[in-house]
Amino acid sequence: MPVRRVEHIMGLPISLDLRDGDAELAERAFASLRQADSQFSPFKPDSEVSRLDRGELTREELTPDLVEVLSLCDWYEDSTGGAFTARVPGRGLDPCAVVKGWAVQRAADILREGGASSYCLNAGGDVVTAGEPEPGKPWRVGVRHPDFADQVCVVLGVRDGAVATSALYERGQHILDGRTGQPVTGILSVTVFSDDLAIADTTATAAFALGRDGIEWAASQEDCEVFIVDEDRKVFSSPGLPVHIC
Amino acid sequence: MKRAIPVLALSVAGLVPVWLYSPGAAHEGEINEAAAAPETQQQKQTPAPAAPKTTSPAPKANGTAPTTQQQQQQQTQTRNVSGPAVNTSEGTVQVQVTLQGTKITDVKALRAPNSNPTRMALPLLRESALKAQSADIDTVSGATATSEGYKQSLQAALDGAK
Repeated sequence: MPVRRVEHIMGLPISLDLRDGDAELAERAFASLRQADSQFSPFKPDSEVSRLDRGELTREELTPDLVEVLSLCDWYEDSTGGAFTARVPGRGLDPCAVVKGWAVQRAADILREGGASSYCLNAGGDVVTAGEPEPGKPWRVGVRHPDFADQVCVVLGVRDGAVATSALYERGQHILDGRTGQPVTGILSVTVFSDDLAIADTTATAAFALGRDGIEWAASQEDCEVFIVDEDRKVFSSPGLPVHIC
Repeated sequence: MKRAIPVLALSVAGLVPVWLYSPGAAHEGEINEAAAAPETQQQKQTPAPAAPKTTSPAPKANGTAPTTQQQQQQQTQTRNVSGPAVNTSEGTVQVQVTLQGTKITDVKALRAPNSNPTRMALPLLRESALKAQSADIDTVSGATATSEGYKQSLQAALDGAK
């Protein structure tokens, strides 16, 4: 039975297109997203992240999930020389950039473990897909054009995989370079294809934070294929990107 | 230890031009230029030398290196060149460089301590112009990050469409 559902969680519209599962399975996936929100949100005073930030928890008292999220934050912070950071000076601990991809991937894994083999889960433009929507056809994941909201600039054909895009078009300049605290310039849109959304999403965000340096940095990340648009509307793409010819 | 691999990879990368050096390749830059502009290269073409595997010195014409069939072929041929196995305090490291003509297209660690052969990250990017299309799609990446934006987004249209 196909299920389609949209719910706003973590401040994101989350759309599920489940081709072979039931509403109960879909609910379990959405419940895990709501749970991630209450556990990791820096905007909820009683979340684990907020309690850690206030010093109410020690590292030893953290759940394995938060330890995993924080270690991902640390890894990308190191790898980008601090351009990507979960601790922007003057603000509290904010692992959102990692939590989003991590939590959505976990929700997708719940669907798979629940027996689903064909679905597309889209959280605010970050996508996990499995199987095929129709026999012989991949999921067609359009990448939003940086200038036109109603058009795409490339279509990827994805079966089991994850696609994340970090871009400037909606919230204005919302990604800061952790090295300078200043808004990032040089790049308009970074799309990363990988087999895990935690990796794809964080790589896209971190590449964006690096500005122009992020182009080569993202392309050199293991198991990541990129599609990057710079300020001059020039496109840089990996040869391994699964571009779908329409 | 991780640092040793890129360093070795770079060392090998640095050696490659030296290995490739032959008197005939002295005008590599010009050959590349010719390859980039095939129509002019055609005009400058001279008969190919008999020995297929050498890049023997070819006579100069109009101060430009003539491009032969072999050289042209070498320009696009894919070859793997393995570096020496180097013993480090952490173990043996050996890298392999893949060349397309004279361009390095990939670097792979054949042997690295405590790890399987891995593809070294070497960015290979294609450049193109940004295009806009309104294609038939199932979902949108980078669609929206806010509730307000979502209402007007392509993804919202897709969610409502089926």
